[in-house]
Amino acid sequence: MNVLIVEDEKALASELEIFLTGNNYLCENCLDGKSASEKIATNQYDFILIDLGLPDYDGLDLLKEAKHNNPEAACIILTARAEVFDRIKGLDMGADDYLPKPFSLLELQSRMQAIVRRKFGLKHTLVALGNFSIDLTDRTIAFNNALINTITKKEFDLMAYMILHKNRTLTRPQLSEHIWGSVVNDDYDSNYIDAHIKNIRKKLNAYESPEWLETVRGLGYRINL
Amino acid sequence: MKLQTKLTLFNTVSKLVIVLLFVALLPSLIKTINQNYTDNRLRKQKDKVLQVVHNKGIGYFIQDDEAYGSYTPLKEEYVSLDTVPMTEYRDTINDELRKMEDDTIIPYRILSHTFTIKNKNYLLEVGKSINTIGETSGPLQNIALEVLLGMILLTILADLIYSNYVLRPLGLIIKTKLVGNKFPQFGTYKKVETTTTDFEYLDVSIYQMIGTIERTFQKEREFISNASHELMTPISILQSKIENMFEQDDVADELKIRLLEMQRILNRLKTITKTLLLISQIENEQFLREDTIPVNTLLQEVYDEISIRLQEKNIECHIAVPADIKLIKVNKFLLFNLFFNLVNNAIKYNRPGGVIKIAAKTEKGNLVISIADTGIGISEAQLPHIFNRFKKFRQSLEQDSFGLGLPIVKSIADFHRLQVNVRSEEGVGSTFELTFPAEMVG
Repeated sequence: MNVLIVEDEKALASELEIFLTGNNYLCENCLDGKSASEKIATNQYDFILIDLGLPDYDGLDLLKEAKHNNPEAACIILTARAEVFDRIKGLDMGADDYLPKPFSLLELQSRMQAIVRRKFGLKHTLVALGNFSIDLTDRTIAFNNALINTITKKEFDLMAYMILHKNRTLTRPQLSEHIWGSVVNDDYDSNYIDAHIKNIRKKLNAYESPEWLETVRGLGYRINL
Repeated sequence: MKLQTKLTLFNTVSKLVIVLLFVALLPSLIKTINQNYTDNRLRKQKDKVLQVVHNKGIGYFIQDDEAYGSYTPLKEEYVSLDTVPMTEYRDTINDELRKMEDDTIIPYRILSHTFTIKNKNYLLEVGKSINTIGETSGPLQNIALEVLLGMILLTILADLIYSNYVLRPLGLIIKTKLVGNKFPQFGTYKKVETTTTDFEYLDVSIYQMIGTIERTFQKEREFISNASHELMTPISILQSKIENMFEQDDVADELKIRLLEMQRILNRLKTITKTLLLISQIENEQFLREDTIPVNTLLQEVYDEISIRLQEKNIECHIAVPADIKLIKVNKFLLFNLFFNLVNNAIKYNRPGGVIKIAAKTEKGNLVISIADTGIGISEAQLPHIFNRFKKFRQSLEQDSFGLGLPIVKSIADFHRLQVNVRSEEGVGSTFELTFPAEMVG
């Protein structure tokens, strides 16, 4: 899939490119609004990532142009100016998602995947793990076709995030950022991830040992698929 | 006491004292005046008699050395002329007693004057009854008292009206500029109309001071907002770099552990910056108050979010809030964060196996939601400072924080105009009470 990255911070743009390229996206970088505007007018993209704080261009204007010239593209707004009004404005003008800086690259990827699922109208994203089957759309987990209802919303969120980033070690800060991202509180430790994983294991063990949920010592957790 | 009351009271008392003093002094004053007047009159009468003697000769009064005496019918005044020995010389005015023909003794003011005609010495006495002299004193005193009291009343009234008029701008300054103005939101400046330069000066000075305070406040807010915004991009770059490095296959596990450490520290920086930004956004009124949400739903969401922490510390959390209470015109996101932080604190500073009680009651139409824990409590000395940013008092616990939880609570409460009360006893627990005004409860 083709991604246009419009970001004036060179260092950030190149990190985005490295990450997305590593995840099989085809990336193009634009460091200013003007060249981005030209690219949007001529090329077709699947994703356009727009930084609102461009020095030479109003990011929202760029969004308008993108919607006009690239109606198929999904636009994600990236900005450090996380003001609430901007947020409303951006989504009203047709942005598909909004990520306030600083964001985790994994979060960006999962948002992009969610957009893809939405766009292609995938009814059920079923994932089989051992004898468990997980429906990412309906947010349910079943064992041999029998629904398990002991898993809480938070626990499902954790599993879904790890499935989305399967075969990749996710650190506690990454996991806690995902499940507690909207909460602003003054703890900076993410010990509670361990407690959640412990609970998930305990609940699933009642059916079958979840061998696919691996603890990577000293680093974090991963789901092997 | 108000300035006007003080002024009026002082005026009244001071005038009353002066008038009473004057009225008390009045008898002796009147006596002196009367005496002078009487003495003058006596002298004039003496001169008249002497004139008569000069014109018509002593014989007009005295013949054959027989003494002359004349009284008014009621004996208020008399004139007498008599021969006295040559040796006697008098020219005085004295109070003396005189015995009348009917043996009554009457005090008189008497002028005695001796003069010599043809080798004969005469004594002239002109007298006026002292009783008649003093008789006007009493009525005069009464009249003076009445008139003066009347005048006092009039002046007090005039004082009151004038001071009311002249002090009105001061009252207006106090009412519109100071009372009811919630710091630091003072609204727009409206000049107070006054011709008194002092008040004008006061009004302008207050306005300028408020302006200075507001500008300083605004600058601080802008600074925090700009600083945290500016920090977001570098943090974002660092985070992306660390994440990308983490992904690389050729990075050894030891290095990954160190990267994880960096990620953790970066997270800390991120949380502080995000929190500061949130506080500045709240203070700059960048949130809307348009949500309606049942208190129970909100608390349940907080509970779901936080239950893992309760479980970890084996803490029981009782929510006893009636299901039908709704909050209207609030910001759900902010209130969620407010309750999250309060409950999170109640967990953090609780003892393992402790209890948290969340309850609601109605007080004078307002809704009071209380969150009580059985934790370590807050000492009285620390209590006034708990809402200050970066103040960490209860640090001895295993759970680390950076002292922004309660400042968030405070700014969200201020944004919704909620009152926050804290009661705490060291070693027993703390209770945070949030008062929602009646118009926010549905």
